[in-house]
Amino acid sequence: MPVDITLIIVLVIALALFFDFTNGFHDTANAMATPIATGALKPKVAVGLAAILNLVGAFLSTEVAKTISGGIIREGDGGVLITPELIFAGLIGAIVWNMLTWLLGLPSSSSHALFGGLIGAALVGFGTGAIDFGVLLSKVILPALLAPLTAGLIAFAATKLAYGITRRYDGKPDGRSGFRYGQIFSSSLVALAHGTNDAQKTMGVITLALISVNLLGPDDGVPFWVVVVCALAIALGTYVGGWRIIKTLGTGLTDVKPAQGFSAETSTAATILASSHLGFALSTTQVASGSVIGSGLGRRGSTVRWGTAGRIAIGWLLTLPAAGIVGALAALVAHLGTWGVIIDAVVGVGTIVFIFLWSRRDQIGHHNVVSEVAASGEAVAIARKSKKKKVAK
Amino acid sequence: MIDWMGFVIVLFAALVGAVVVVGLYAFGLKMLVRAGRVPVVTPATFTDAITVLTPAEIKSAEKKAAKAARKNPLSAGQKRVALIAAYGSFVLCAAAVLFGIYLIVPALHGG
Repeated sequence: MPVDITLIIVLVIALALFFDFTNGFHDTANAMATPIATGALKPKVAVGLAAILNLVGAFLSTEVAKTISGGIIREGDGGVLITPELIFAGLIGAIVWNMLTWLLGLPSSSSHALFGGLIGAALVGFGTGAIDFGVLLSKVILPALLAPLTAGLIAFAATKLAYGITRRYDGKPDGRSGFRYGQIFSSSLVALAHGTNDAQKTMGVITLALISVNLLGPDDGVPFWVVVVCALAIALGTYVGGWRIIKTLGTGLTDVKPAQGFSAETSTAATILASSHLGFALSTTQVASGSVIGSGLGRRGSTVRWGTAGRIAIGWLLTLPAAGIVGALAALVAHLGTWGVIIDAVVGVGTIVFIFLWSRRDQIGHHNVVSEVAASGEAVAIARKSKKKKVAK
Repeated sequence: MIDWMGFVIVLFAALVGAVVVVGLYAFGLKMLVRAGRVPVVTPATFTDAITVLTPAEIKSAEKKAAKAARKNPLSAGQKRVALIAAYGSFVLCAAAVLFGIYLIVPALHGG
């Protein structure tokens, strides 16, 4: 029935945009904490800048969106007929898992939650034939494993270079605090890169949904209005989420020096931009974390805390299958028909509201104050010189 | 099926991009210091990923910078050259970033 189709398409688009919004909300801190702290940018300016750059970034390219809408799930001849219910179930899986990990403070990736949810839903709906495992491996799983390593390697080299060039042996000032000005620009680049990769994931999902009800042909590109709404959703999320950063001022824990931060941010932006260009959908959080760890290792006298690094890695690996299971469950329920979809929607929205209310109870804690990227810096131990800094509360 | 070449391209392109940008910026800072203009940027508030300086540390850093500027052995001309090199390096760094963005936006070069 056409009414049902319209309803579910609207639901899918709304959920996808909500996902986009939480994505921006979640990731502002990764990019903009540094220039706010240096005093180089006022909080309002920094947050606004991040929002605008995310908006601009979303318009730069559609390669990643094409990976999602046209690659992973086999459609049309020889494949399966994707239904909007399936995409809906996948989105529910992604959002629920995302909120859950955010609440528990587990390191996770919004992007992999999205893929996991969609894949789980497709597997339940149509069996293993529904998934193009070649594309999945080539465009999602391998980039997920390789991108943090790549970023780490690059950040390691860049940090070595930054320290090497500015090193002085005569004890005179080395000017390294000038990297703080540079961080204004490097964080802006990270925000831009974030828009190019993350906003596109939502564009891909909405496009896929439109293709599934024949509003678009299977080979059509991303419609312009989809680009616009996704860009706006992620920018709005970034802007709203930015206010959380201001609250986190006064709780620094990791010890990232300006030269290191500049190198790490530049490496993050370079890796994400290059990957977006080739259509690899990767987790921006993981890339940024990889860079922070790599740049930590690029400093003298640093060692890896393998326990912490291992915990982060396990969290990353868990995300895809775990969101897959939630997506699969949602798809099972959605198979019951209209009532199934309604049950899914109620349970999904209920979970989101519950988690949101629960999170308001104890707002300040290690897990929600320190961004995941900064937390990943704790995986590297750096030998201090003599003085021990007093951490003011 | 697996696009190994794609991974190599990402690694190579991102490595070149990051090394060029970081290298040019670091060289610019080095030249700035050489010209006797040591930048002292002092964060006074905590947030993620920032090392905060105490007021005493800030004072000592500013003092050191001023002393280094006073005792700079270079002639006025050499300082000027270093300053020009510093600004040139920063400009090149910015140009490298803009060129990188230009390369990835298909709308800008018609392909």
